[in-house]
Amino acid sequence: MTTTVRASARGAAPPRAGALRLTLALVGAALLLLCAAAASVMFGSMSTSPGEVLSVLSGDAEPYLTTVVESRYPRTLLGVLAGVCLAVSGTLMQGVTRNPLADPGLLGVNTGAAAGVVTASAFLGASGSASAMWWALPGALLAGVLVHVIGFSGASSSAVRLVLAGAVLTAVLTAYIQAVTLSRPKIFDNYRYWVVGALGGRDFDVLWSVLPFAVAGLLVALLIAPALNALALGDESATSLGANPAVTRALGWGSATVLAAAATAAAGPIAFVGLAVPHVVRGLIGTDHRGQIALSVLVGPVLLLTADVIGRVLLRPQELMVGVVTAFVGAPALLFTLRRMKHSL
Amino acid sequence: MKTRSAPDLPVPPAPVTPPPRAAGLLRLGRTVAVPVDTRAVLVSVALLVLLAVAAVATLTLGRLGIPLRDLPSALFGEPRGMDKLILDRLRGPRLVTGIGAGAAFGVAGALFQSVTRNPLGSPDVIGLSGGAGAGAATVALLAPGFPVSVGALVGAVVAMAVVYLATGTGFGDPGRLVVAGIGVSALTAALTQYVVYAVERDQATVLSSYLNGSLATRDWTDASTIWGLLLVAVPLTLLISRSLTISEMGDELTTALGTDPRRTRTAAVVLSTALAAGAVTVAGPIAFISLTAPQIARRLAPAPGPRIALSALTGATLLVLADLAAQHLPLTDDLPVGIYTMALGGVYLGYLLVREWKKGTL
Repeated sequence: MTTTVRASARGAAPPRAGALRLTLALVGAALLLLCAAAASVMFGSMSTSPGEVLSVLSGDAEPYLTTVVESRYPRTLLGVLAGVCLAVSGTLMQGVTRNPLADPGLLGVNTGAAAGVVTASAFLGASGSASAMWWALPGALLAGVLVHVIGFSGASSSAVRLVLAGAVLTAVLTAYIQAVTLSRPKIFDNYRYWVVGALGGRDFDVLWSVLPFAVAGLLVALLIAPALNALALGDESATSLGANPAVTRALGWGSATVLAAAATAAAGPIAFVGLAVPHVVRGLIGTDHRGQIALSVLVGPVLLLTADVIGRVLLRPQELMVGVVTAFVGAPALLFTLRRMKHSL
Repeated sequence: MKTRSAPDLPVPPAPVTPPPRAAGLLRLGRTVAVPVDTRAVLVSVALLVLLAVAAVATLTLGRLGIPLRDLPSALFGEPRGMDKLILDRLRGPRLVTGIGAGAAFGVAGALFQSVTRNPLGSPDVIGLSGGAGAGAATVALLAPGFPVSVGALVGAVVAMAVVYLATGTGFGDPGRLVVAGIGVSALTAALTQYVVYAVERDQATVLSSYLNGSLATRDWTDASTIWGLLLVAVPLTLLISRSLTISEMGDELTTALGTDPRRTRTAAVVLSTALAAGAVTVAGPIAFISLTAPQIARRLAPAPGPRIALSALTGATLLVLADLAAQHLPLTDDLPVGIYTMALGGVYLGYLLVREWKKGTL
């Protein structure tokens, strides 16, 4: 008796069967993540066999093979980190706004981070990807606040509104970024690779500089997950369940923005991962935000690493950046969903 | 205890705007009487004057400008030396192309907004410009030397087709239209950025400039392309504009009045796509002219229906003014004009959205 009361006070408690389902989903996603990580280490312009990778891991491979495989470690870890950040950011945004179209890319937050990075390298002489985080963060926060203000002004609210606000913000920021990069050829040259969203060509420095922000964002996400469940029942019910809707929204939106900034600083603006993962996760385990966030942590990297591996093998020896692959899979998926939707938006 | 809100009632249709207050009648003899909207005429004249001033400024300002006192002789007489070069190669084609492209964008936007009955239904918002950019970029990557403008045309048409299919309901539902447009824009942006990365650096700079929409280095071929298109498309547009005005009142009423609303809309979409694609072909995907020009035209002279002529004039004036800014603002050297229109148009779109939301119409 007491347990049910306490559980419902924390939000909508999942039924017992949901727990089994969540466990199964988590285990399955973890296995998939292992496979994706293995594939990310194995495949590239030179493919290696599982045996060869194992021999590198145990330390008795020839030097050339070791170099090839080890050069893929940072890339794989970066993919995991960016995947986690984007997925959890999207889950938080969709939870906070109750908007199935929320995504850090579509809402302009990633572009805000990009604008911050470009500003720093153009006007402040910042160089090196390790410092990118310090400029991505204010850009993303500013964009996050702006899109929130535009999207939630006025009386009515609809799923399209936030997305439109994001499109407006993206347009203005893109104009700014283009103006800066086109008038500074050197920055343009660096920027045109980064802006597509890519995991290759980075080192561990980026990873270390971004990691604290990612961890902080993730912790906040897990802490407010029960309150998000309460929020899903409506503001009044949430208040009566002891959650503070305004604080929950602010924390949720804030950590979603920090996570999006971390992903952008690490890998450039990547769209659609934050949009797709929450939908996949909800389809698997339902609406409990605690489970959603936990599962997003695993599903996001699976998606991003898979996209990256596909991009590497598709046009060998050239490669398609991961941002192109996610857009080419994500946008048609969005259009297809739209076509099947019955109700008006 | 709070009263429960009423169940969803069917929303009453927005009140139909009254027909234009024809403020006067232009009489020719005793048989011909053409209704004239005096305000529209006055606004048109004012816009023409503004456009002329902007045009003169385009030709005369700056280090390379023709001195103002020499302009009449250069224009109407036999230009010589430097003046001839400026008029024939540098600023002349740029100006003429700009006027044509601006007008084409304006008319395209007016048609689209009328068909979708939605101020947001502009070629930019629904992915046409993005498609044109991706088409141009693809051609630049796969077939260097082939005119990128053809790629832009094909890309624009394909993007429109995809948006049409993806909405599932044609161009009717504004929400779907916008989301489909954003999806297509994201897709085309990814493709475009990949190409900009994949080509050589110098080529990438040129391509990136074109992809933002630029009027620099236009020649008379561009100018004649867009003006040829306008000569064909605008009369057709004027022909259907009456049916379009009627069809804005709703399908049932339109059918009752003896017009086929579907046919009118299809014709309008085809014409609009052709005009927008043509403008993109000669000037690149210049952002937001097609969104803002019809809006401004409607505000200047309110009336139902697409304001074809006024939108064309407004579009041309906006683009020439923006290009003037692009040439002379001391920010950086000759940035593509599309960057200016994108920044200003984005801000305007934001204003528009907030206003629509305050009214609760979106």
